[in-house]
Amino acid sequence: MDLVSELALARYEKIGEIVDKCVERIEKPKTFSDLMDIVVTDKYVGVPIFLALMWAVFQFSYSVSVPFSDAINVFFSACAEWAKASIGNQQLASLVGDGIFGGWGFILVFLPPIAFVFVALAILEDSGYLPRAAFVMDRIMTKIGLQGKSFIPMLLGFGCNVPAIMATRTIEEEVDRKITIMVNPLMSCSARLPVYMLFAGVFFEKIAGAVITFMYLLGIALAAVMATLLRKFVFRGKASPLLMELPPYTVPAPKVVLVNAWNKVLIFLKKASTVLFAGALIMWFLTTHPWSATNGGEIVGKSYASLIGHAVAPLIKPMGLDWTAGVALVGGVMAKEIVIGTLGMVYGVGEKSVANVIPKHFTPASALAMMTITLIYVPCLATLGVLRSELGSWKWTAFVVAYELVLAYVVALVVYNVFSLI
Amino acid sequence: MRLHELRPGTKAIVLDIEGSLKSKLLSMGLTRGAEVRVVRNAPLKDPMEVEIRGYKLSIRRAEAEKVVVKVKA
Repeated sequence: MDLVSELALARYEKIGEIVDKCVERIEKPKTFSDLMDIVVTDKYVGVPIFLALMWAVFQFSYSVSVPFSDAINVFFSACAEWAKASIGNQQLASLVGDGIFGGWGFILVFLPPIAFVFVALAILEDSGYLPRAAFVMDRIMTKIGLQGKSFIPMLLGFGCNVPAIMATRTIEEEVDRKITIMVNPLMSCSARLPVYMLFAGVFFEKIAGAVITFMYLLGIALAAVMATLLRKFVFRGKASPLLMELPPYTVPAPKVVLVNAWNKVLIFLKKASTVLFAGALIMWFLTTHPWSATNGGEIVGKSYASLIGHAVAPLIKPMGLDWTAGVALVGGVMAKEIVIGTLGMVYGVGEKSVANVIPKHFTPASALAMMTITLIYVPCLATLGVLRSELGSWKWTAFVVAYELVLAYVVALVVYNVFSLI
Repeated sequence: MRLHELRPGTKAIVLDIEGSLKSKLLSMGLTRGAEVRVVRNAPLKDPMEVEIRGYKLSIRRAEAEKVVVKVKA
């Protein structure tokens, strides 16, 4: 017998002695938890129950939070308008209005979905269901380089990658958690949908639905491939067993649930918002300067952002994209919501009429390439902020950005060329 | 026999643990002489749920394979 085993044995003997003295066990044939488990981990209904619960969580998190985010948006837009109207110096007014108020509004709209996601997750966790969810889904998820507990963060990514990445904290296994974080941005968040809808709607009218579905599936497939590759080559040889307790079910305590959600909001504000705010100011500067040339941010085509767009133009030319796409993608680094708005500004037609102008600059094949790039390339600033705070290092954050840029380029090129052949 | 070979409902006694996860499994209470009962398999057969020392533990088949057991009559 070896020392480790003997020590463990001795420890458990001691524990047994103490427990026997102070715990009285009542033998029940089947506890409430046993009965629950018979249902929720059932061979046939276990997975459907899980999926139904997830649908509820998703709707609660992302639909119920919308009015709150809208209210924050309206409030900060009003603040920005007020600042611009009351400050005499145009440049300063723009900085305070669009840069500072705009930047803070941009950060704070993430709070409602974060709060709602974590209220829902805390209820699941506190009730004891979360480990069952991992138990039910583990087999499927290990097939694609992840594990049972990765499923919920990946699913949440379809709403917003910010709370999704924060939700990986339920994964105790370090390697599994890192991999789940790193592939999460490949889940098409709701901000990417309008871009898909615009391009698919204009170039693939009748099969637009199929094209949009393809983009979602492409993201899932790439996440699976990347997770497998990361496990094999980056985190090689590191075993991560799934040894977890399936605790008895309990009724969630409202206080625990609320405190948990509140803590997540604070973490986001403290850790991620600094990166976000700095990024928002940089983006403001790039789109409105040089000040006189852009006429105070009116003519985006003359801005530094546009310079960057022009600079990347030769790179994206092989997939049929011109500098206007380049500028839009630079804008998309801030937030994917901005891609369409930036295109509108570049063409000087406003967001509503973009659909009428894009056929001049894109072909069906290059539209597909544009959607593919939007899906894969750099995560938005907010996601970047939480990547940094959850991965705990700039090195890993830079790694994620680097692999996504390369992946976006390669996949977009393939998509463009394959589609051009058809 | 190995833990992963047992059908749900079977009780067994732990004899030995092999492999690199030994200390982890030991700390979870899978010590020599401890009684384990297989509660169920997950819907896709993996992982499996076992009861040990009065609590329920989820363990993958790959790990359960490292647990040498003797079936209790």
